Amino acid sequence: MNKSIIFCGVGGDGIVTASNICANALLRANFDVKKSEVHGMSQRGGSVNAFLIYGKKVYSLLPSKGSVNYMFASEKLEALRNVDYLNETSIVLINDRVVPIVGASIDDYEIDNHLKSFPFEQKIINFNEVAKLHNMEKSVNTIMLGFFSKIIGIDKKYFTRAIADTLNPKLIDINIEAFEIGSNL
Amino acid sequence: MRKIISGNEALAIGAYRASASFASGYPGTPSSEILEHAKTFEDIKVQWASNEKSAFEQALGASIAGRRSFVTMKHVGLNVAADSLMSASYTGVNAGFVVVVADDPGMHSSQNEQDTRLFAKFAQVPILEPSDAKEAMGFMQYAFALSEEHDTPVIVRSTTRVSHTQEMVYFDMHKLGGYENKLLAKDISKYVLVPKNAIARHKKLLERNAKLQKLSNETPLNRIEQGTLNIGIITSGVSYLYAKELLPNANYLKIGLSWPFPIEIAREFVKSLDKVIVIEELEPYIEEQLKAGGIDVEGKKFFPQDGEFNLDIVEEGLVKASFLEKTAKKYFEVPDLPARPPVLCPGCPHRPIFDILHSLRVYVAGDIGCYTLGAAAPLSSIHTTVCMGASISMGYGIAKATLNHKIVSVIGDSTFLHTGLQPLIDAYVNNVAYTVIILDNSITAMTGGQPDATSGFNIKNEPTPKVDLENLVRSIGIKRVFKVDQYDYKATKEIIEQEVNTKELSVIIATRPCVLAPKKIKDTPYVVIADKCIDCKRCLRVGCPAIGYKDKKAYIIEDYCTGCALCANVCPTNAIVKGDTNE
Repeated sequence: MNKSIIFCGVGGDGIVTASNICANALLRANFDVKKSEVHGMSQRGGSVNAFLIYGKKVYSLLPSKGSVNYMFASEKLEALRNVDYLNETSIVLINDRVVPIVGASIDDYEIDNHLKSFPFEQKIINFNEVAKLHNMEKSVNTIMLGFFSKIIGIDKKYFTRAIADTLNPKLIDINIEAFEIGSNL
Repeated sequence: MRKIISGNEALAIGAYRASASFASGYPGTPSSEILEHAKTFEDIKVQWASNEKSAFEQALGASIAGRRSFVTMKHVGLNVAADSLMSASYTGVNAGFVVVVADDPGMHSSQNEQDTRLFAKFAQVPILEPSDAKEAMGFMQYAFALSEEHDTPVIVRSTTRVSHTQEMVYFDMHKLGGYENKLLAKDISKYVLVPKNAIARHKKLLERNAKLQKLSNETPLNRIEQGTLNIGIITSGVSYLYAKELLPNANYLKIGLSWPFPIEIAREFVKSLDKVIVIEELEPYIEEQLKAGGIDVEGKKFFPQDGEFNLDIVEEGLVKASFLEKTAKKYFEVPDLPARPPVLCPGCPHRPIFDILHSLRVYVAGDIGCYTLGAAAPLSSIHTTVCMGASISMGYGIAKATLNHKIVSVIGDSTFLHTGLQPLIDAYVNNVAYTVIILDNSITAMTGGQPDATSGFNIKNEPTPKVDLENLVRSIGIKRVFKVDQYDYKATKEIIEQEVNTKELSVIIATRPCVLAPKKIKDTPYVVIADKCIDCKRCLRVGCPAIGYKDKKAYIIEDYCTGCALCANVCPTNAIVKGDTNE
């Protein structure tokens, strides 16, 4: 049975890079992988998502609603915006932060209540705080990926190689370190 | 090797493997990354052109020169290159010539969702429709051989989903066969389309069509896949993948070469089946081909003619067609949330211009680029956006028709050089009084920061000469030409206000570079002194994502703020100051 992941966040958040690393790791773990994302105008600070489907043989480029196994959300509002892809058995990892929207007032309390109302398993962690603690503000998503690798049960050796494969050589060491921090949380 | 690659990367690799040695294009989502990948191959001479027509003709020239060549663009780009396409179909090619066009069903980043398959039929050139990255690579290779063998341009049509989906592909980087460049073709009867020659070429084209028609019924790109159920699906592109996922046991006619249409295969396919339907995104192209061939099938009766398909939409159509049982689908309802539309970046040099235009309450004809976002609330200061270059010509029409000179056209540098220059010449020689603002950030920003003729470097990041827009505009003869720096808010506002109130054609060139490309610009962030904030919300009306609002006070998100100072400039109580100021 194929599994799927939704990555969601705000344009410029690094969601696409996180999904690239994850896709590469799954490839190294010997899965067939398809990853779908959209570029262009949506990247200018708008809602962004990317889908990853993996398994023995994958046809579809996109998962259907209610079928996604895991969510990697870099922001709480965007996590909520994509709950229609999830079901009771989904596991969700959310960075505990809210990015303001131009011209909208957002009630943090209401967002938390909304999230609490869903029955799927949720891990909401403030990865920005973790990153600050380690002086790694630019590697927030990689720390989060470290934690995420445990949720999807993919050995970290595949991720380490995927990071080396995907990122600019200058950024590899710090990101491998960031990944370690996340996987040890 | 085994690698995850996108459809766009696959198209570039396919071209490389087919020994292409020349490529041109104009950036446009979702096609832009094809040349970004192609530039990594030393054997391919890659460049960005000023527009798709120029790019198309450069590549056609290279083909006539005996080099395999290709050109890339988005679907609407083909409208600009349509003049070239329609007649290149008559001249034919020398070395293989492939036109890669990426459609955008669902309009993720486009102004319409036209279907390029109809263009292929119109121009009478073959079109290939890959479903994924693996096919994209193979089809691209096939396209060059097809082009050369049948003396025709060939269109490879991608879509957003094909271009931007990444999948695992096994491939090597060896070139296929020992392709040798040809000699520059000198054949006046073929390449000079005066009526006498064109009449003969049209007859040749019709002969070519007959051969291509036969080929379409024989090529492995159009294939039947036997299933165990007695129902059939005729489909192409990404629709094939969704259907296959949902109904793996149906019979499939998978169309890869869709013009000329393989009508004989289709006749064979439907013969023994109880019921056959068509699944295709956008226009009912396949459906109409089948019906014209006397095959009674339905497609758009079950599936939408607009928008991008996905598994849920295809499933719903299959249920309507009684190919699938309706299953009770359960998924969570998304709570009512404020939308998060794309916005101009923090520090974007376009923002001060739109804040000023908004305050002047003038009518603004806009254009295609990041700055189209000036139409979004709270700036809400663009009133038309139709297609590339239309700002200056539509502003002309509005100003002349109404004799109102308080009309402003707003256009970026790349779009100006694409199709904005000629309308400006028209405005000058016809004495039309209005104001043109060229937002010169010296880059094609919206599509990811590709260089244009104002950048001073090319796609390979090599230094190049650059066009000076002020000299260019002055050379037309226009007298009122001004340069402004948008970060100097007061001076910029003064000039715009002055020119809007002047009854003469004027051009204002706004010169601040893009904050993202070619390099990220970040200065000391600003902060709000809470005691001085009077809750007037003026700063919120510039629509900056770095400005938040809580407990009746504005605040600035340090991580996002680039220090452009627009909010500080508009704050009536000077409550916004540079972060390192001692207050």
